[in-house]
Amino acid sequence: MLIFILPLASLVIIWWTVYWMGLIRVLPSPIEVAGTMVSRWRILLRDLGSSAVRIAAGFCLAMVIGIPVGLLMGTNRYVHFLLRPILTLLLPVPTLAWVPILLIMWGVGDQTIIFAIFLGGFFSIAYNTATGVRGIDQDLILAARIMGASRRELFAKVLLPGSMVSVLAGLRLAIGYSWRALVGAEMLAAASAGLGFRVFNSWRFVAVDVMFASLVIIMAIGFIMERFLVEPLERRTVKRWGMIRV
Amino acid sequence: MKQGIAAKLEARHIRKEFDDGDSKLLAIEDINLSVRESEFCVIVGPSGCGKSTFLYLAAGFEKPTSGDILLNGKPVKGPGPDRGFVFQEFALYPWKTVLGNVSFGLEIQGMKKEEAKETAEKYIETIGLQGFENAYPHTLSGGMKQRVGIARALAYDPEVLLMDEPFGSLDAQTKKLMQQELLRVWSQTRKTVLYVTHSVVEASFLADRVVVLTARPSKVKGIIDIDIPRPRSYTDEDYLDVRERILGLLDEEVARAYRKDQAGPESTPPEPS
Repeated sequence: MLIFILPLASLVIIWWTVYWMGLIRVLPSPIEVAGTMVSRWRILLRDLGSSAVRIAAGFCLAMVIGIPVGLLMGTNRYVHFLLRPILTLLLPVPTLAWVPILLIMWGVGDQTIIFAIFLGGFFSIAYNTATGVRGIDQDLILAARIMGASRRELFAKVLLPGSMVSVLAGLRLAIGYSWRALVGAEMLAAASAGLGFRVFNSWRFVAVDVMFASLVIIMAIGFIMERFLVEPLERRTVKRWGMIRV
Repeated sequence: MKQGIAAKLEARHIRKEFDDGDSKLLAIEDINLSVRESEFCVIVGPSGCGKSTFLYLAAGFEKPTSGDILLNGKPVKGPGPDRGFVFQEFALYPWKTVLGNVSFGLEIQGMKKEEAKETAEKYIETIGLQGFENAYPHTLSGGMKQRVGIARALAYDPEVLLMDEPFGSLDAQTKKLMQQELLRVWSQTRKTVLYVTHSVVEASFLADRVVVLTARPSKVKGIIDIDIPRPRSYTDEDYLDVRERILGLLDEEVARAYRKDQAGPESTPPEPS
């Protein structure tokens, strides 16, 4: 619990200090932002809801496609040969650069945003999974083969758990990337709601407090996803199995 | 093949070349070998001679360049559950408990979960690991890990047990204990065992028959039958005599392999993978 509170408290203290010294003119005080969060809770909750649905959809898509693609890349020489250069080329393209193209294809709306989130998360998940599979001790694969494992069993029962350390690292990165993609895409492609949309929209009304309230929520959600999704998964898998040091 | 005694596992003119595109390496020139039912057969040879490669061929992990390996008279085409394999580095699944590791092969082969658990528990007890069913491998010592490795390979009742320097990474005390344990389990199950080691002490302690391979490219240098009753004593005169005979064969080859290494920059054989 202390690990949870300490960084949070220090962040608020720094914020307070900066505000109190008047270093950044537009910066609202933490209390002001907290007040805004209370008074505008309805609209912020709606934004949170829209963003949460989009991120869930986009992130799940990235996971459901990224992990199998990574497993295939890690096991099949030809798939690896084919996909690796493509991924290497696409990896450095900022997700936001795709959004205008997506806007032409699908226009403003959820489809564009969800696909941007997918793009944000997909690469790191696929890449890390592939790396993980290639690092699996060859004997573990041979042992399964001599016991008669089919290809499907090999994937599900050996390659996936065996690459779990890397898969989790990929998911962790993907959470960060897909949030960035979400907020950016919502600025460009959300018609009416979403945390990214709210930040951008508040700019027009110079509602700095709302901007900050949205930012705080974005930070909190990222933190919660890491804390309540990746960490428990890690504890239940690779830590328990002794695959990483505790 | 001797009259009346069927060969369980037979190697006929096995030759294995590794070819990595621009250079070829002849690992095995010609190995002929016949292992009888319930026999404990140990292969020894100088390091890098291709004895592990031969075991990988028997497992079906690699294909011979020419020649056949026959199991019960039928050619080996690839890996399959009629063989059990015990790895030097254990190769246990870290995400599975002891029970999960041992029952893995049974479940893959379609045994019902309850039945697989029962069978696995039986083998865990045989190998002396009762009480550790729910432990994860990373909490076990090296000797215990290899007990799991052996139980896992025996649990689905393969025709032969292939063992690749199974105690090579254990300390001397544990190694001795594990050798005795292995003989105890073997005398209970009467499995046909093909066992690879570089240790002559180990070979002469364990084997019904010791096959000495030459330095690379390997051929069979000599076969020594050991009919000293078990348990054998390390100080017994017959035992020491057999050990000397094996050492005699092997020493020439080790010296030859050494001279060859000194002679020229020849690439070392790739580890079987």
